[in-house]
Amino acid sequence: MLAALEHATGGLWPYLVVILIGFLPTEIWRFAGVVAGRNLDESSEIMLWVRLVAAALVAGVVAKLLLAPSGALAVIPLWGRAGALLVGFAVFWLRRRSVLTGLVAGEAALIVAGFAFV
Amino acid sequence: MSTPAETSSRSAFLKGAHAAAGLPSIVLMASLIGVGGLTRDIGYPMLAGVLSTILVWAGPAQVLLFGSIAAGASLPAVAVAVSLSSIRFLPMVVSILPLLRGPGIGTGRLLIGAHFVAVTSWTEGRRLLPGMPVAERYPFFIGFASVVMAAAAFATGAGYYLIGALPAALAAALLFTTPLFFTLSLAAGSRTLADWCALGLGFALAPLSTRLVGGDFDLLAVGLVGGTIAYAIHRLRRRA
Repeated sequence: MLAALEHATGGLWPYLVVILIGFLPTEIWRFAGVVAGRNLDESSEIMLWVRLVAAALVAGVVAKLLLAPSGALAVIPLWGRAGALLVGFAVFWLRRRSVLTGLVAGEAALIVAGFAFV
Repeated sequence: MSTPAETSSRSAFLKGAHAAAGLPSIVLMASLIGVGGLTRDIGYPMLAGVLSTILVWAGPAQVLLFGSIAAGASLPAVAVAVSLSSIRFLPMVVSILPLLRGPGIGTGRLLIGAHFVAVTSWTEGRRLLPGMPVAERYPFFIGFASVVMAAAAFATGAGYYLIGALPAALAAALLFTTPLFFTLSLAAGSRTLADWCALGLGFALAPLSTRLVGGDFDLLAVGLVGGTIAYAIHRLRRRA
C-alpha cells in the first residue's frame, strides 16, 4: 500500500513522509503537553516531578545518541565520543559553568579523536 | 497608532530575537547541518530537510527519521520510533507552560508556543523568562525561538550541499553538537541535588534500559524511573 501511495504522490512523497512520519508523531506530545499542563501551577509538587522526568529523558536521549550514533559520528569509536563529552563537561565545570567554553573544548576533543583514529 | 501593550509586546519579541542571535543560533546551525546531509543521503530534496526542521523541530527525531529510512526500516516502525523518541516534549511543554501563560495568551497561542519548544528554547526559556514581566514572556519566547528556528532551517539547507565536502572528523563533530550541547545546557540549568540526580540517572539508566526494556520504549522507562527516583531523593532530603 505504501509503495502505491509513494508512486501516486510522486515528487511530493518526501514531504508527506516528513509530515506523517516526522511532524505528527512528534507534535502529538507538544499538543498533549498543552492539554495536560493548562491548569497546573508552577509551584506544585507534580510540576517538579514533571521537570525531573523531562531532564532524565533529555539525558537519556544524549546517552542513546552517544551509544548508537548515526551517520558521520559513528566513525568515531565509543571511547572517543564518551571522552570528548567528558572533556567538554570538565571544562564547562572548571570554567564556572560556561556552556560556550565547554562546547568548544568538547568539539575540539572530538575533532582530535577524529583525525587521530579515522 | 499602536497601543502601549502592542509596543511592549513588539519590543519583547525583538529582545528575544536578539538573545537568540549568538550562541543558541550557532549551536542549532551546527546541529542541523548534519541533518541536511542525512536528507541528501536518502535522496530526498533539500526542501524536505528544511521542512523537517521547521515542522519536526527536534534534532534527534530528525536524525532518527532520516537515519532509519537510510537503514531501510519500514515507515510505520519509523513513525513509532520517532514518536517514542519525542516523549520528552510532553513534560518539557508542561513545565514551560506556566512561564508562557499570561493575559491574552489563549490555548491557540500556547499551541504555537509549544511547537517552538525544543531543548534550546526550553533551557533558555526556563533560565530567562522567570525574571521578566509576565506580559513580555510569551513574545520574548516566540522572538527567541523563531530566530533560532530560521537559523537552523537555513543550516539544514546549507548542510545538504556542504556536508559531503567536509572532512569526516568535522562532519562527526557537527553531529556531536546535539549530545554535547544537550548535556551542557542541562547541567547549566541544574541547581538542586534532585536536578543532578535526574541528569545522572537519565544518563546511567539508558544503556541498562536498552538492554532490559529494549525496543523503542527504553527512553520512556528511563524518563519515568530516573525522574521518579530523583523526585524521591528530593522528598527524602526535605523530610530529613
